[in-house]
Amino acid sequence: MTTYEYATDETREIAPRVVPVSKGRIIVNWITSTDHKTIGYMYLIASFMFFCIGGVMALLIRAELFEPGMQLLQTKEQYNQLFTMHGTIMLLMFATPLFAGFANVIMPLQIGAPDVAFPRLNALAFWLFLFGSTIAVAGYITPQGAASFGWFAYAPLSNTTFSPGVGGDLWVFGLALSGFGTILGAVNFITTIICLRAPGMTMWRMPIFTWNTLITGILVLMAFPPLAAALFALGADRRFGAHIFDPEAGGPILWQHLFWFFGHPEVYIIALPFFGIVSEIFPVFSRKPIFGYKGLVFATIAIAALSVAVWAHHMYVTGSVLLPFFGFMTMLIAVPTGVKFFNWIGTMWRGSITFETPMLWSIGFMATFLFGGLTGIILSAPPLDFHVSDTYFVVAHFHYVVFGTVVFAMFAGFYFWWPKWTGKMLNERFGKIHFWLLFIGFHGTFLIQHWLGVMGMPRRYADYMPEDGFTAMNQFSTVFAFVLGMSMIPFFWNVWITHRHGKKVEVDDPWGFGASLEWATSCPPPRHNFHSIPRIRSERPALDLHHPELGARSTPTTTVAKVFGPADQKDK
Amino acid sequence: MKIESWLFLGGIFFFLPVALVYGYMTNWDEWVGMPALFMVTGLSAMIGFYLYYTARRVGPRPEDRLDGEIHENAGVVGAFSPWSWWPIVLATAAAIGFLGLAVGFWVLYIGAGLAVIAVIGWTYEYSRGDHAH
Repeated sequence: MTTYEYATDETREIAPRVVPVSKGRIIVNWITSTDHKTIGYMYLIASFMFFCIGGVMALLIRAELFEPGMQLLQTKEQYNQLFTMHGTIMLLMFATPLFAGFANVIMPLQIGAPDVAFPRLNALAFWLFLFGSTIAVAGYITPQGAASFGWFAYAPLSNTTFSPGVGGDLWVFGLALSGFGTILGAVNFITTIICLRAPGMTMWRMPIFTWNTLITGILVLMAFPPLAAALFALGADRRFGAHIFDPEAGGPILWQHLFWFFGHPEVYIIALPFFGIVSEIFPVFSRKPIFGYKGLVFATIAIAALSVAVWAHHMYVTGSVLLPFFGFMTMLIAVPTGVKFFNWIGTMWRGSITFETPMLWSIGFMATFLFGGLTGIILSAPPLDFHVSDTYFVVAHFHYVVFGTVVFAMFAGFYFWWPKWTGKMLNERFGKIHFWLLFIGFHGTFLIQHWLGVMGMPRRYADYMPEDGFTAMNQFSTVFAFVLGMSMIPFFWNVWITHRHGKKVEVDDPWGFGASLEWATSCPPPRHNFHSIPRIRSERPALDLHHPELGARSTPTTTVAKVFGPADQKDK
Repeated sequence: MKIESWLFLGGIFFFLPVALVYGYMTNWDEWVGMPALFMVTGLSAMIGFYLYYTARRVGPRPEDRLDGEIHENAGVVGAFSPWSWWPIVLATAAAIGFLGLAVGFWVLYIGAGLAVIAVIGWTYEYSRGDHAH
């Protein structure tokens, strides 16, 4: 016996608190929290703060490059510190913990779990990340400043002869500490997904975001231990006089292999969860199930597996790696990535699409990431890579890839799940202003850098000469970088007015066509997530609950449909 | 749990051939990637076989069955700590220790001492003895 009710008719009263909570109590509640949602919010807030810090560094870098000569910064060492910490912050203190934040808040809700499997370990992982990142950034308050050897810390530049100062030591050990936080978090996510799903939530009914969280967690287990090993070895070199990365022992290549064995999967660690976010959003605003559910999952698995075997494509120009092997494996990644694009477009194809902010951001993600993917194929070919390696072409490429996935999909997720997290919808109009400012700012900043790179402007140089002919393009890029920076203003304003004047969301699913389980509980969800869990009979349990009339869908039974098609076939 | 175990076991069939091909093509001469790929194979095998044998032992759980009903998992799901001071204490201890590695070895001992306290506190937080409530 099953009862159905429509989302729009539901109201659930939570009794108002009669005893006021003191400020100190609120702080203690947050820092001692083992609730996956609170920890997730702390992850999201902390990583967004690091995003803002890294963003200000980027603006300083762009301002310095506005014209030839050193105008803003006193020394080129300061410039080196800026791009080093910009890269470190954006990769390891913003994007990676942002994944942990989204996964923490959303994943247990999507599988109908009361919490993550190890709540205290979850809190420990967050604090390790926060303290480790703070240690790494604290280099800025030391006399010699922060680390300045680039975020991939190539040996022998990163040893104490070429980069003396405690800033580099803080960087090494801070990142090692926060890396352990990431590993523990991944263990927690994997265990939760394997052990705490609600009955009926089979693997092939899990939302794509949960699938991607699982696969990202596995990638973390494969990638972060080599980083920890490499960092401890570098720390031993720097602090205790070891000679692991000495040039005479082949140290530079050893470091590059170790670092990129972590570094390349890391790129997918910060991409896959965000593919998952947009895969949640497209079906909701296209009013269609995700197209080729299993194909999407297999594509994610394929990308993750391949990403472990392509690390040395960052090392083509060393001349001591196996070019055909890495070129081939790298190009192979384009295939499952193409499958994903095919599925996203197929999801929207002939759907009744509406362009609310989450959808707008998701489409912005697709456009941006497509450019990054295409230049990625160019860079995967060694003969082409030799010409543009370490130029602004590469800078443009990875900003399209990483900004396209992480930032666009992050805002898509923010606008999409904000009502679920806070109980209030963000303002749509400010969201659209925010999107267009950011979209124009981003493409204005980075599209032109492809040509800068082809013309020969090297990355990581603090200055260039008027005779180089880079000035006009750099000025164009810098102006749009500030448009990009300004796009945060409507966002913060939006958050503020929503907080002050936003209307309370009183239904479980304010978007109307939410599919996964988080839309079957209140906004915000109660302490252990669900008052009751609906019966799970497809990969869209919340939609089945709120729109039973859509349940009777017929699916083809051909072999292709069975292998790649919807999760469930005729098993209602 | 079958699908979970095959998700990991499948890794063997990708990483092992890749490690062999890569090792062969580099004349077994590249001592980071080749062993790392073999170890990734081992990681896949270790977790995969554990899950595989666990799956055989426990059989299909309600969350593995297409017709699982919510009430089938009624009862105690697990022990969920309502709140705890120990994560932040342990993380502080670890942070002091790592800071010590970077700035001065003696600081490490402070972190290590605090870590011992934190680990004991963490372990015995919900332990009330055999017969106490």
